[in-house]
Amino acid sequence: MNLSDLTIRKFNESLLRREFSAAEAVKEYFGRIEEKEEEIGAYLTLLKESALSQASEVDAAISKGKKIPPLAGVPLAVKDVISIEGVRTTAASKILENYISSYDAAVIGKLKENQAVFLGKTNLDEFAMGASTENSAFKKTKNPHDLTRVPGGSSGGSAAAVAADMALAALGSDTNGSIRQPASFCGVVGLKPTYGAVSRHGLLALGSSLDQIGPFAKTVEDAAIIFKAISGRDEFDPTSVAYGSRSATLDLDEVRNLRIGIPKEYFTEGIEKTVGDGLEEAMKKFKNLKIKFEEISLPHTKYSISVYYIILPAEASTNLARYDGIRYARIPSVSGSSTLKEIYLKNRSLGFGPEPKRRILFGAFVLSAGYYDAYYAKAQKVRSLIKWDFDKAFEKVDVIFTPTTPTTAFKFGEKANDPLAMYLADAFTSPSSLSGLPAISIPVKKYEIGSGELPVGFQLIGRYFREADILGLGEQYEKLEISN
Amino acid sequence: MFSEKDLESLADLVRLELSEEEKKSLLRDFKKILAYFEELKSVDTDGVSPMSGGTFETNVFREDGSEDAKLPAEKSVGQFPEKESGFLKVPPVFN
Repeated sequence: MNLSDLTIRKFNESLLRREFSAAEAVKEYFGRIEEKEEEIGAYLTLLKESALSQASEVDAAISKGKKIPPLAGVPLAVKDVISIEGVRTTAASKILENYISSYDAAVIGKLKENQAVFLGKTNLDEFAMGASTENSAFKKTKNPHDLTRVPGGSSGGSAAAVAADMALAALGSDTNGSIRQPASFCGVVGLKPTYGAVSRHGLLALGSSLDQIGPFAKTVEDAAIIFKAISGRDEFDPTSVAYGSRSATLDLDEVRNLRIGIPKEYFTEGIEKTVGDGLEEAMKKFKNLKIKFEEISLPHTKYSISVYYIILPAEASTNLARYDGIRYARIPSVSGSSTLKEIYLKNRSLGFGPEPKRRILFGAFVLSAGYYDAYYAKAQKVRSLIKWDFDKAFEKVDVIFTPTTPTTAFKFGEKANDPLAMYLADAFTSPSSLSGLPAISIPVKKYEIGSGELPVGFQLIGRYFREADILGLGEQYEKLEISN
Repeated sequence: MFSEKDLESLADLVRLELSEEEKKSLLRDFKKILAYFEELKSVDTDGVSPMSGGTFETNVFREDGSEDAKLPAEKSVGQFPEKESGFLKVPPVFN
């Protein structure tokens, strides 16, 4: 079984041709995990036993001649902020070190219906706060392409697991780039769906007006298969909407009719040369497809980071208030406390790491009387301006093409002690998040591990609920890649 | 403008105890981040309505009525650190 060549479609075909069984595939992946995990550090919890039993059910169904969905038996990794019943969900925080989820997240329920297999829960920046996975309370995840560099974040474990063939695909969550940025750093595909496309029920909330769950995969086609399975209305997330046929992708003729906008604000001097070269290479390939490009302007782009780092801490401060040591797990050293306030104080002070503390305090600050208008209300207004930029641009073009990140994967420690420098890593993924638009990061080419090259990703931003456009364009790009 | 006293009172409100070292680095970070945010002041937002959420859905209602919880009680209380007879146990709120 050649894990590096495997895609979801090939996996499904191989199962049906009985080239291997789902259980054999799980064993193969765990063999790979045993070999690589110490070096990469992608996982926080491994689920070998339940994965094998899920796989055996798929094998039983196949041997009985039952029809199986495309995701049947597919070995997935899940970011450790998404609940699986009976499994630890830590958010990479000490405050939830011993927390066991009592129900399945909506996306997990849907994937179980599709008979997918869960290999384990992956590492992340604590409570999804960060861009390097260095903020995890438990371990560092390394970039499989260069072990001295970060995998990106916050979904760094999921990105690294897929890049290193320690899972065939994975789930992450994206609030400001937490799927797309690590996908770009690790040379895999990462999709952030439209706000409302995928239910967040069972996702540990970070920023409720921004959070979306999405797939990491080796190909755009694989990402589309997972997206189709997890999207749609769910009664437990009132922001989720019915999807219907809107998730279908496009053929080459339809793709050729798309107009692609290039926002000048994303192609600035601040871009690393490797990234600029990569983007040029991608653009050339698109031009071979006879895709039309035109320059557009998104003038409020530069304010995104300020806006995001006011709105997000405000929402996170509220969302993280629930971790009080009363309703969820309590950290062991707090059990002797007597008064309620002591439990709150000790549990939160010992349980949260530096970044959650910084954002909880900062969020409380921007929401407090006297500062609310200057910061929070102002940020919400500028957020409207950022969204309107996109509304105007989408009158002229169908898809927007940008770099995913200004740089390739950076070294450990490079930004760890400077929160502002870390925040700026989100500069190109933030505006579409604030606006709720779908966006995907696609590697410029296939980056082989060990080649010494650092991956570069480009980002396609689509209209609301037009995942079909960005996935379709991405799939055609990929086909061109393969035929070259 | 943002003093150590402000930080202490915020910390009390959000129920965090901060060490002297944490206070020092937080004050430094706050200063730097707030200085960066000054750029927003120059943006003309007269007459712009705030964008409060990412959704287009409005008034998502359901029938008002009773229904059995999907999660059995023993599972809901399963993760409470302290419980008694199926209830959440907390220290007295008022002493």
